[in-house]
Amino acid sequence: MGWFSWSSNSNQASDGGRIAPDRTSRQKCWEARDTFFSCLDNNDIIDSVKGDKEARKKCGKEIAEFEASCATAWVKYFKEKRVMEYNRDKTIERIKKEDAATVQDLKSQGWTSR
Amino acid sequence: MSLPLRSITRTLTRTSRTCHTPSIATTRPVLPQTLRQNVSLTSPRTAVPFSTSPMRSKSRTMGQIRARNATGPFSWKSALLFVLTGAGMIVYFRVEKDRLERKRIAEMSKGVGKPKVGGPFVLKDLEGKVFTEDELKGRYSFVYFGFTHCPDICPDELDKMAEIIDKVKEANKGDNVFLPVFITCDPVRDTPEVLKNYLQEFHKDIIGLTGTYDQVKQVCKAYRVYFSTPKDVKPGDDYLVDHSIYFYLMDPDGDFVECIGRQDTPESATKTIMEHINDWKREGKPLKKD
Repeated sequence: MGWFSWSSNSNQASDGGRIAPDRTSRQKCWEARDTFFSCLDNNDIIDSVKGDKEARKKCGKEIAEFEASCATAWVKYFKEKRVMEYNRDKTIERIKKEDAATVQDLKSQGWTSR
Repeated sequence: MSLPLRSITRTLTRTSRTCHTPSIATTRPVLPQTLRQNVSLTSPRTAVPFSTSPMRSKSRTMGQIRARNATGPFSWKSALLFVLTGAGMIVYFRVEKDRLERKRIAEMSKGVGKPKVGGPFVLKDLEGKVFTEDELKGRYSFVYFGFTHCPDICPDELDKMAEIIDKVKEANKGDNVFLPVFITCDPVRDTPEVLKNYLQEFHKDIIGLTGTYDQVKQVCKAYRVYFSTPKDVKPGDDYLVDHSIYFYLMDPDGDFVECIGRQDTPESATKTIMEHINDWKREGKPLKKD
């Protein structure tokens, strides 16, 4: 977990920069995230920031693994992204439904697709 | 055929009538001659004797017409020529149209006078040497802004960049006409050493650039990149940087050409880039290859 314990000096580069997660640790973080999110899916939890308590109760093991494998900023980012993507998909679905309804409506009024 | 025949007979009778007077003996040998002359005049191409029936000669002409209809101006050769010419023209016009469209986009992006995207900047490369916009000139450059602590989009895009680099190199037969550049938006954490280690995981050809906070802010502004890096970060702070996620394709003059975005695949991006490079070559403009 040395990569993500930011306060320690282990990720400090010799010229003062901060070493970023490499491919392996990124992969590890993403896998932990996917496991955690599939647990949230199974428990119908979308927002694990607002529903933090419930998420911790139902997916305790997964969230611990997720937070251990990813940097704090990443954890927050992924949690928020999940909510954002959910809302986005829902909006797209709603617009598609509305479009279909409009098309139906127009067809019933005698419009053709041409 | 029947008409000339009748006229011959008429001439015949007329001649014989007029020739009745002074002496028959002298006029007699003349008769076949006039007759022969008349025949040859009325149907010049035939050595056909009188016995030729009108029926047969008619069917022959029809046969000729039919033959002409079968092979005449609409033979398969001319049809093929027509189709090929047509297809050739269509392909040519499409290619030209595409080329002009790309040129229009490139010209449009150049703006009037001052370039809209890109321009002068001062940064340093991973060896610590000063790197300015002049280093990009002479080749097509492919500029990406990011930061090494980027959670998911940048690594994906950099993997894509690596694929594009290889594909473009292959398409240019190894000529070094294409410069992939990564400019960090997060200079505090991304020092040359950090950047070097980070970029090595993606592609060795990527040129990493970093600088001071103000230098980076300036280059982001020049490339119209949204820049949100916090200025005063304490060591150990963990934060993310919002930034634009486009690749900027710049021509050898340092002018912006086109954006490559998230929706592009390595294939489609390579296609777009190669089209621009080939247009540039076709126009005979200089391009560094070494």
